[in-house]
Amino acid sequence: MMTALAFVTFRQWGQHKLRLFLTLAGIALGVAVFFAVRTANTTLISSLATTVEKLAGHATLQVSAGEASLPQEVLASVRQTSGVHLAEPVIEKVVETALPDGPNLLVMGMDTGSDLKLYEGEFDQSSLEISNPLAFTERPDSIALSRPFADHYGLKDGDRIPIYTPRGRQDFTVRGFFRTTGASVVFGGNIALMDIHAAQAAFDRVGKLDRIDIMTDPAANVGEVQQSLRARLPAGFEVAKPDRRGESLEKAVSAMHLSLLIMSLLALTVGVFIIFNSLSVSVNQRWKEIGVLRSIGVEGHRVQKMFLVEAGVLGLVGSALGVGLGFVLAGGATKIMSNVSASVYGLASTPQAPAFRWDFAVIAFAIGVACSLFAAWLPARAASRLSPIQALRNIEVQQSEGVLGWSRFILGLSFIVVGLALSVFSPPGVGLMVHFTFSLMVQFGMILLLPKFVVWGTRILRPLMSWQFGAEGQMAMDAVVRMPRRTSATVGSLMLGLSFVFSVGAFIHSHKNSLDRMLDRCINADLTIATSDQIRSRTYHFSEDQERRVGSLPGVKDTDGMRLTAVAHGNDEIMVIARDMGLWFSNSPGLLDEGDARSAQQQTMKGEGFLISQNQSFRTGMHVGDQLRLETPKGPLTRPVVGVVEFYYVEKGSVFMDRSLYKQFWGDNSVDLILLNLDPGVDRVWFKGEINRAMAGEQRAFIYTNEELKAWSSRTTDQFFTLTYLEMLIAIFVATMGLVNMLVVSVSERQRELGILRALGGLRSQVRKIIILEAVAISVVGFATGVIAGLFNAYFLVRTAARLIAGFSLRFEFPLTVVLVTLPVVLLVAIAAAWWTAQRAMRLRVVEAIGYE
Amino acid sequence: MTESNSVVRLEKLAKAYTDGQTFYALNHIDLEIGRGERVAIMGPSGAGKSTMLNLICGLDVPTSGRVFIEGTDISQLSDDLRTRLRREKVGMIFQSFNLLPTLSALENVSLPLRLRNRSRREAERRAREMLERVGLHRQATHRPDEMSGGECQRVAIARALIFDPPVLLADEPTGNLDSASGEGVLQLLNELHRELNNTILLVTHDRLTAESCERMLILRDGRVAEDSAHPSTIESVLTESL
Repeated sequence: MMTALAFVTFRQWGQHKLRLFLTLAGIALGVAVFFAVRTANTTLISSLATTVEKLAGHATLQVSAGEASLPQEVLASVRQTSGVHLAEPVIEKVVETALPDGPNLLVMGMDTGSDLKLYEGEFDQSSLEISNPLAFTERPDSIALSRPFADHYGLKDGDRIPIYTPRGRQDFTVRGFFRTTGASVVFGGNIALMDIHAAQAAFDRVGKLDRIDIMTDPAANVGEVQQSLRARLPAGFEVAKPDRRGESLEKAVSAMHLSLLIMSLLALTVGVFIIFNSLSVSVNQRWKEIGVLRSIGVEGHRVQKMFLVEAGVLGLVGSALGVGLGFVLAGGATKIMSNVSASVYGLASTPQAPAFRWDFAVIAFAIGVACSLFAAWLPARAASRLSPIQALRNIEVQQSEGVLGWSRFILGLSFIVVGLALSVFSPPGVGLMVHFTFSLMVQFGMILLLPKFVVWGTRILRPLMSWQFGAEGQMAMDAVVRMPRRTSATVGSLMLGLSFVFSVGAFIHSHKNSLDRMLDRCINADLTIATSDQIRSRTYHFSEDQERRVGSLPGVKDTDGMRLTAVAHGNDEIMVIARDMGLWFSNSPGLLDEGDARSAQQQTMKGEGFLISQNQSFRTGMHVGDQLRLETPKGPLTRPVVGVVEFYYVEKGSVFMDRSLYKQFWGDNSVDLILLNLDPGVDRVWFKGEINRAMAGEQRAFIYTNEELKAWSSRTTDQFFTLTYLEMLIAIFVATMGLVNMLVVSVSERQRELGILRALGGLRSQVRKIIILEAVAISVVGFATGVIAGLFNAYFLVRTAARLIAGFSLRFEFPLTVVLVTLPVVLLVAIAAAWWTAQRAMRLRVVEAIGYE
Repeated sequence: MTESNSVVRLEKLAKAYTDGQTFYALNHIDLEIGRGERVAIMGPSGAGKSTMLNLICGLDVPTSGRVFIEGTDISQLSDDLRTRLRREKVGMIFQSFNLLPTLSALENVSLPLRLRNRSRREAERRAREMLERVGLHRQATHRPDEMSGGECQRVAIARALIFDPPVLLADEPTGNLDSASGEGVLQLLNELHRELNNTILLVTHDRLTAESCERMLILRDGRVAEDSAHPSTIESVLTESL
């Protein structure tokens, strides 16, 4: 019998190709987004790790001081440690060139006087073509470039390449090339090699190293050597295996991955509802067919099975398509995520094609099929419970009562109340996914309430429609209310799609406003000078001399050199922010969220206390009065926390101290940002030109007014959420497609009804108006419920997810712009779709529509 | 019959379908029907009965010839104007009732007035009067699936007459009913005709139904085979023609 039923279903697909397409698209898009995000993230992490591995050569251990530099003397200590076979000093800088289009270049400073055996196959003699090795080592302007980079810019042996250094723009002479193997693929091929001494001189690192790469004795135990080094070196130095560095990079982008994963799961829930909607529409459309099947002896449970099998097959096909589509999308998503990791996190990656992971494919596929079956269960059950007589008459009567019942309403309300209560009162420690489940409970509750929302919404709209559009308006409202199941399914898909858009909009809007607020309190100077167009570079800094020179320009009231360094802290990293604390407090009234400003200012100015960021406080549970210990190159540094600041620059948490204390313990006098306050009456834009003139010929300085800094922050946030914006577009597309689907089906199944209206004297324009007004009403109710559901969802994203992913306590901001932009889009799509379907319906002759001939 | 007395007038009315060769569903018919006349239209299947009704009410357009309703040539009108004329002047009753299944009896009956942009209150007040007139005031809130076939047809009659049309077209109004219900419906139509004096064109296969009309047309192969305007001759026409 099932074969016969399968045949019936197959015929249905043939006759309703649009519905079939939309259903498959709903499943495929949901699965694709989920699969693409996971694949792209893995590819990005792999490409970051590849970069680390290639640059590390055959190193088994690496010594660093986070982003701060190491004193060169450490190298001797390392080499003397038992079990260390080779130890090579490394300078690693991403610099800006003055070539056309100003590409960045990853410059590796290494001891080219040695045989670089540690980097065999990457930077050693076999990988390099250097015409005059002696000249390369002896002359401080020597540089070797990767072949692809040199070819791209037409650079030959002996040509000059201009590079911005902390000492200004310098020309280096090309004296060698990488072969096209090994490290030449790192950083997209934009890689160069210099001798360590030349690199130290050029990049203001004389007597300092960024890293020491170590090859342990083959006979020695790497773990034991690591312990020996840790015991020998001050605690502020990190001794780690290169793959651990890869892990720390993975941690660095974990917030991006988690937020994208959450967004992709939300997109998947929209996909689930599209399937539900589509199959509900299918059941509605096939009532008569179900009635016929039931009347010729097909049992209810077989009808249910027929729909479930149909959903299963659609799930299989849609998920397979989704995995394929997801893999294609992963290519683009990887590029976007790599850009974000480079621009937001300053991490260089090696371009890689996405690797197809079967485990991810199987998970995504299984989720797609499971979601299809889950979504189909209710419509399938509804189909099995149809009374054959009702079904044969194609009347949606008994179902309305069930759909509109108060028990369903109370159940829905309970889900919302319980879900919200759990969200509000559960501790963060239960985990992100558990909180996500609470959010889903609220969404499910909203779905259960939909029929009531439809009825109430229509009651509210009726007088308006009646006043504005007369009888057609009333009749349209009647039609919406009379078919609560069909209407609710469509309103539901709109609601979920739009709630995703609104909640993500609220999240991004809240994020941006919180960043603005932070900038007002923390970087509130008239002008901010940065080393990079991304505000901070991991490898590129100003010198104190540059800070002094800028500060001495006429018109400068005060100057604050700010250093931002990521250092190891426990098993993770923390951002150390060193600046003039006295000036900061003076220029930023109301700076602290916790702590007494006056005493905090005094203590931090004297180097007797730290401020910590809110997210650091949240992550560690530390508050004012607690002692915070940091490991520094000069040994442990312990100070009391004297204040907590709202600060969202990094997800890892930040600690603020006076710069004199930082210089004392880290021996680092570099500066990342120079904050300038100008004398009254000095024009900020004009003064930017003065600074550029003062720094001409040196490295490029990026100068921002306060407003420009906020605009940059907004742009960076947009960049961070690029993939999320794409997901929002997909959600809107899927939701509106659901609306189109419903209208097409609704109009086609109501041809007789529309024909009767025409036979009774309804004009084409009247019937068209009724169809359009129905679509408008459904859109308005879907939009309104989308706003409500979006607010619930936003609570999860803004209050819970932001806290759990990054420790940020964002303040909720209503995404008015997103809401105002979305409303006309949805209405236009609805009106256009309704117009199109109405035109199609009007083509049918009345006598045919009513089956009169 | 003078032109001014005729409510429905057909001039050389033809409807042809072409499928390789031309087939005339109605073949150049001339006909005049006066105000207040009750005309039964009979004939075998495919004779052109329903086609004639479709053309008279403007649901379909003729291949050639003209249809006049109260002096207006509807065959020259646009679809919208034909629709307006239909909702002003022509009530329709179908064999399969054609009630909207999701609407109550009251809502179904009030529908034509609402399509004419009457207020809902006014439309429903008038619908209640009509339902009372057809004896269904107690079933006002019932939906079609909650009523018998006879009751559904009464609702359809109420709907057709709610705007007091001068012409009422009924396509086998008793065709789907048992004999008792059918008789009741016919009786109701007769009563209403006496009250309203509208023109009724009634397609039927039923001899008793036909006999209740003053005039009878018999169509065959798209032509009027018989047109008996006198009740006394109906019996002989029926016997000879059918």
